[in-house]
Order: sequence, then structure tokens, then C-alpha cells
Amino acid sequence: MQKDLETKFLSDFEKNQNIAHKICRVYTTNNDAHKDLFQEITIQLWKNYSTFRGDSKFSTWMYRVALNTAISLYRKSTRTLKTQDFSDFAYKIKATDYDDTEERQLESLYKAIHQLNDIEKALIFLYLEDKPYKEIADTLGITSVNARVKMNRAKEKLKNILNP
Amino acid sequence: MDLLDNYKKAWVNQPEETNKFSALEIYKLAHSKSSSIVKWIFIIGILEFVLWSCLNLVMPEDFYKTYKDLNLMTFIDVFTVFHYFIIVAFLFLFYKNYKRISLIDNTKKLIQSILRIRKTVKYYVIYNLAMVFLISIIVNITMFSDSDKLMKTMNPKNLAMDINQVLTITIITQVLVLIVILVFLWLFYKLLYGILLKKLYRNYKELTKLDHLN
Repeated sequence: MQKDLETKFLSDFEKNQNIAHKICRVYTTNNDAHKDLFQEITIQLWKNYSTFRGDSKFSTWMYRVALNTAISLYRKSTRTLKTQDFSDFAYKIKATDYDDTEERQLESLYKAIHQLNDIEKALIFLYLEDKPYKEIADTLGITSVNARVKMNRAKEKLKNILNP
Repeated sequence: MDLLDNYKKAWVNQPEETNKFSALEIYKLAHSKSSSIVKWIFIIGILEFVLWSCLNLVMPEDFYKTYKDLNLMTFIDVFTVFHYFIIVAFLFLFYKNYKRISLIDNTKKLIQSILRIRKTVKYYVIYNLAMVFLISIIVNITMFSDSDKLMKTMNPKNLAMDINQVLTITIITQVLVLIVILVFLWLFYKLLYGILLKKLYRNYKELTKLDHLN
């Protein structure tokens, strides 16, 4: 039984791991920290997998657990560098066939997101992932009205950073 | 078109992570040790229970002699039983709060649950401090209500001493010890939990800020 559950978890998570990678890119600024957070997210997903009942999509359940890990559980390790290290990330993008303008836009977008606080990061991330307000409010535990107000403020802040 | 819409397009079109993990690597990661804030709060909490419980055990025999001289042994025995009962109750609450933590709760509720584990430990420490305070008051009242007994307890070798001198020394020592303990504890908690909880408090404040305005 445990074995079946584990196999299912591994296949579910392997397919959806890009969500976790995006969360790591939002909440960390270098490769070591990215790996640390990814590891913690993996541990928490597996630990909580028995609570995933399958009545919702795996990815929906995963958004919540992974974001909660990044916002509430993750401790920045001491070896995390303070400086923003984008060389790895830029390289990853260049390695693929990718439009130049969008590449630059994505890089400035990540740079701007890194200047937001943890909650604003979550709001903007869920907005970029096209999640409805109801889901955003449910994930964070705030009312839909508050989610809307907070989202507008976070968006304004992000716009000001992107286009001062 | 909104400025952010362009960026959103870039976000949607961003390439998938190139360093993807295989199922085997994910398996290894899933079974590695967590270093989450919750785990640290749990470990530190357990250490605090151990620390306070050990204080009773490492007390030298001489310490109890004072109580014996003051005829307070029955009180101490009754209190010890009561104290162990309270420790078990606190440990139960601590474990229950730890177990209650669920990552599928919403963020606000999750942070509240994490802070609740910390609160249990805080109340446990306050309980211990209150008991130290209470017992020292009872001992003092018993001592000072009988000056012969006081002299015998504080000056067992019967050196030539003035009762007022003994009183002053006793009170000054007790106040000093209390201050040292309080300062030590304050620093201890600032360091121990301050670092761990800073992020949680900040995020919790951010989540509740608007609620107060509505």
C-alpha cells in the first residue's frame, strides 16, 4: 500500500515539478538556495501526501503545500548568498530557443519579484499562474475582498519597480 | 494593454526548468531530513522541557535541607507531584499542537498553528517562573515569620551576626539572583526564538494587516 502510494507520488510530482521550480525561483536568488527550498518542498509534499485525496487536481494541492513551505517553513540557510546571482538562470534560458525580448522581460520580472515581501510574492506568483481570486484567497487564508486589495497593491508595487 | 500583461506573457512562455529531477532523485529528496522552522521549534521546545525538568534533578541535597529545617518537606512533596502532573499536561498540549500542523491549511491558519506550539512552550516557561516566584515567597514568609528559625537556616554555624544584617543580605541576594535569571532568560528567548519566528511574525502581520482596517 505504502509502496503504491510512493510510486504514485513520485510520478505525480515528477510530472508537476516545474511548479515547485518556479516557486523556488520566486523565493530564492541562487542555485544553492533553490535546491534547499526544492528539497524542503519535496519533503513536505511527501509528508503530507496522505492528505491529498485526489478529489482535487494534484497540481492544485501542490500549489498550496509548496507555497506554504516557502512562506512559513523554509529557513534561509547560512550558505545562501546575499548577492543576486542570475548567471545560472540566464544561462538556463539562453540554452533554449527563446525570444529575446521575452527573455529580457522574464529576467527583469524575476528581479522585480525578488524585491517584494513573501506574501506579495505569493500573490504575484498566483496572478501570473492565472489563479482565480477565490483560490488565491483560500490559499492564503484571507477574504476575497482583501485578496483583491492586496493584489492591486502588490501589482502597483511591481509595476513601479519594473517601470520607475 | 496593461504593463503587467506583457510580463505575464513572458512568464507563461518561460521555458521549463532544465535541471529537472528524476523520480529516483525525488525519492532521495523526499526521504532526506527536513530543516524547517517547525522542526526547529519542536526540537528547541523539547530541549526546554528537558532543561527545566533537569533543574529539579541537579539540585544539591543541601538545597532540600533548607526546606527540611523550615518544616516545608510535606509542601515540597505535594508540590512535586503537582508539578509532574503539569509537565505531562504541557507535553501533551505541545505534542497535540505539533501534530495539528498541516500544510494543506491556508497560510494564515498554518502560521497560527506554528505560533501555537511556540506559545505552549512560552506558557510552560512562565509557569515555571511563576512557581519559582511562588515557592520563594512561601519560603520567605515561613522564614521571616520566625526569626529564630531564620537565624538557624541562614546562619547554621551560629556566627555572631546581626539579624538585620542577615535580612539585608538575604533580600539583596534573592533580588540579584532573580534579576540575573530574568536577564539570562530574556537573552535566551530573544536569540532562540527571535531568529526563528521573525519571518513568521512578519508574514502573519502582512496577512492580517487589512483585516483590522475593515
